Amino acid sequence: MNATRRDMLRMGLLAGAALVIPIRVDALPASTPRKKRDLKPAPDPERFRHRQWISIDATGKVTLVVHKSEMGQGVRTSLPMILAEELEADWTKVEVVQAEPGPDFPDMGTSGSDAVESSWLPLRQAGASARVLLIEAAARAWGVPASSCRAESGSVRHDASGRGVPFGSLVAAASRLPVPAEAPLKSPADFRLIGSRVRRIDGPAIVAGAAVYGLDVRVPGMLRAAIARCPVPGGRAVSCDASAAKKIAGVREVVEVPSGIAVVAEDTWTAFAGRDALRIVWDEGGNATHDTATYWSRLETAFEKDAHVTRSEGDARGALEDSGVKRIDAEYRFPFQAHATVETMNATAVVSPGRAEIWAGTQSPNGLQARVAKLLAIPASSVRVHVPLLGGGFGRRIGYDYAIEAVEVARAVGRPVQVVWSRQDDMRHDLYQPASITRLSGGVDARGRVAGWWHRLSTFHLTLFGPLDVNDPDTWADSPWGGLDNPYAIPALRVEYAVQSSPVPTGAWRAVDYPPTVFARESFVDELAFAAGRDPVDLRRELLAGPNPTIGKRVIDRSRILRVLDLAAEKSAWGSALPAASGQRRGRGIACNIYHGRTVAAQVAEVTVSADGRVKVDRIVCAFDCGRVINRAGLESQIESGIIWGLAPSLFTRITFRAGRVEQGTYRDFPVPRLPDSPRIEIHLVEGADRPSGAGEQPVPPVAPAIANAVFAATGRRVRTLPIRPEDLIA
Amino acid sequence: MKRFTIRVNGDRRTVEADPEMPLLWVLRDRLGLTGTKYGCGVGVCGACTVLRDGRAVRSCQIPVREASSGRFTTIEGLSRNGSHPCQRAWIEEDVAQCGFCQPGMILETAALLEQKSRPSDADIDRALGEHVCRCGSYPRVRRAVHAAARLSAGVL
Repeated sequence: MNATRRDMLRMGLLAGAALVIPIRVDALPASTPRKKRDLKPAPDPERFRHRQWISIDATGKVTLVVHKSEMGQGVRTSLPMILAEELEADWTKVEVVQAEPGPDFPDMGTSGSDAVESSWLPLRQAGASARVLLIEAAARAWGVPASSCRAESGSVRHDASGRGVPFGSLVAAASRLPVPAEAPLKSPADFRLIGSRVRRIDGPAIVAGAAVYGLDVRVPGMLRAAIARCPVPGGRAVSCDASAAKKIAGVREVVEVPSGIAVVAEDTWTAFAGRDALRIVWDEGGNATHDTATYWSRLETAFEKDAHVTRSEGDARGALEDSGVKRIDAEYRFPFQAHATVETMNATAVVSPGRAEIWAGTQSPNGLQARVAKLLAIPASSVRVHVPLLGGGFGRRIGYDYAIEAVEVARAVGRPVQVVWSRQDDMRHDLYQPASITRLSGGVDARGRVAGWWHRLSTFHLTLFGPLDVNDPDTWADSPWGGLDNPYAIPALRVEYAVQSSPVPTGAWRAVDYPPTVFARESFVDELAFAAGRDPVDLRRELLAGPNPTIGKRVIDRSRILRVLDLAAEKSAWGSALPAASGQRRGRGIACNIYHGRTVAAQVAEVTVSADGRVKVDRIVCAFDCGRVINRAGLESQIESGIIWGLAPSLFTRITFRAGRVEQGTYRDFPVPRLPDSPRIEIHLVEGADRPSGAGEQPVPPVAPAIANAVFAATGRRVRTLPIRPEDLIA
Repeated sequence: MKRFTIRVNGDRRTVEADPEMPLLWVLRDRLGLTGTKYGCGVGVCGACTVLRDGRAVRSCQIPVREASSGRFTTIEGLSRNGSHPCQRAWIEEDVAQCGFCQPGMILETAALLEQKSRPSDADIDRALGEHVCRCGSYPRVRRAVHAAARLSAGVL
């Protein structure tokens, strides 16, 4: 994927406007009951504020600011851990508040699995310089050299005299000291919090039902709105008869907004009922005749006309024609997918002349702020954005279409409004993972070595990032992830990327290009291994030998991939027999991946295929290396999460279209994995780098190919279209 | 609009509402009990689970006109201070990720443990098999249910 798209993901569509909101670190409703008492901004002079991240009061309470959106990945725990480690704070006295976009927090965008990675150094530096100031304050008070003092667990100590003073007693003195330009970072050997297991900070609020998600935001006088959107993406309302809706008690207003017709009511259920009572004539637009087959056929025809060669080494096509090479061709399909976060899209907005205040569970707070400022023609400093907890993100909430809707409706009715999407709205108006087709051609020579590799992906552009401009190489040059950065040593390798405008809204879905491309690539390695009569692990080992290639800006460290591959194979007892009951077919499959040259993962799936073709994933062994581990408990959660996420497209879910409409509308017809589908998951961590790298998306890509390879091992049937269908695997 | 009295978390609460309004929305939009979550509205995801006389029910499937009988417990009323064994077990096992679906699963588990003090994995699959968690907290949910059973029995 290209630098622009990647940068946009990284920046959360940051608009880069000049923003001047004063930051009040304690302005936001905190999410634990304990914190609710501390909402008032304390005009307490006895408070040590350090940079935009840290505030310590005279009681020793440490308030740390989190600038990334919490959507389950644990940033409200892991990012403060980094600050607290360098600060030497007492973790039990730490409270966390959520930042607001503004000049102090220009990069709150939460995407690309880089919250920890991008915050690692800045947060360490902030914590370290605060620690230096507190130590200096104590040293001056004692009249001893600062170098003879140290901070530990919320106090400064002078070991020679046995004296100690809590941070709270130092806040006034520390506030008066000049901030050092540089402060020494702790040695990793001295880390106490980093690398430990810390339970998520919002856990107590969550289990008490007190955690505040976007849907739980309550603003005095607010109304609820439901919006009727054209069932066919791209269409619009021609006329609307709202008379029946307006007769419903509790319906206040019906207004047109750019995305459709909004029914504004006193409560959510009445807004839904009013919306259902609208009689709307739609101009369904050009997509109205499209079915899923239309989109597959567009992808098929694009291979020739829309392809860009994005990587070429040697003569891959020539190598495949060599008479001494056994050539294999295969085509893999990955359908449209929805995010289907359990909390549906929603946002709350208050718009008054010259001002707007928005509560939105978004992964792009700065982008939202800039967009609203532009929409209302007011300065960004007049737009406040609060980020409550997100009931799931997975890339869907990089978009903030729902928050713009809230602003539009609130502006139209002159009252605070919460726009709520129903489950059907959410499923039918997502920013979908686009469908894609991968064509792979490869050849093995007489000695069983891979002689050539030709990877072609045809997919739709992500509309989230604006219109496709094929004349701009940035839109395709670094794509597709997973194909372009194929880590394997193959003498002749060619990668092509065919991208076309998308007829339906598309966006970033957990790991973006990687799930489809790695499904194809890792399945195909197995196909070549089978054709060559070789073990899939042995073949991968051979392909991961040799020096580390540089692809684009990324160095692919093959030794790290090899290490997780070997670890997953070892821990899964790769090669040993899998006992199967009579009538059952069982198998093991392996897959691995490197994500943008950093985090590496290898997984072994064990499956049981019943006589009627149903696939049960019994166990997944995952070896994972994201470098330095911050929160071991949180990291393991993320890996489990990614694996279970990966089960959905492998076995259960897809989005299809009929007459331009998305056919799915609930978890009944988009049957995401449930608890009984959850395999036994075993995680083995390698810390192969000093710095941390991401873990939110990285566990996802190997899941589908590991399962498909296991299904092949169990049944001899090669599945190349997801989700795997039982009818293709009947004994 | 009609007037209804429902018993929730030990209180009698009177609301004016359309008789067809589901209990879910009465709780969330009229009574300020936002711990009960909207996930699907059609009774297939479990996010809106509450207890009715100790049994787990989907509040999105109960019109308020049918909610006058029985005593309801929402996540806010499960304990005064997060001390219910399920809540403690959930913290112990660090179950939640985004956490949105967790109140429903916790209440489902509380009901399960009333029926079966030491549930098997198969019992857990049956009781919690409809609940949707997109974060994939399932392995920890399973562990937490077992932990809650031990805590309830005073074994830990």
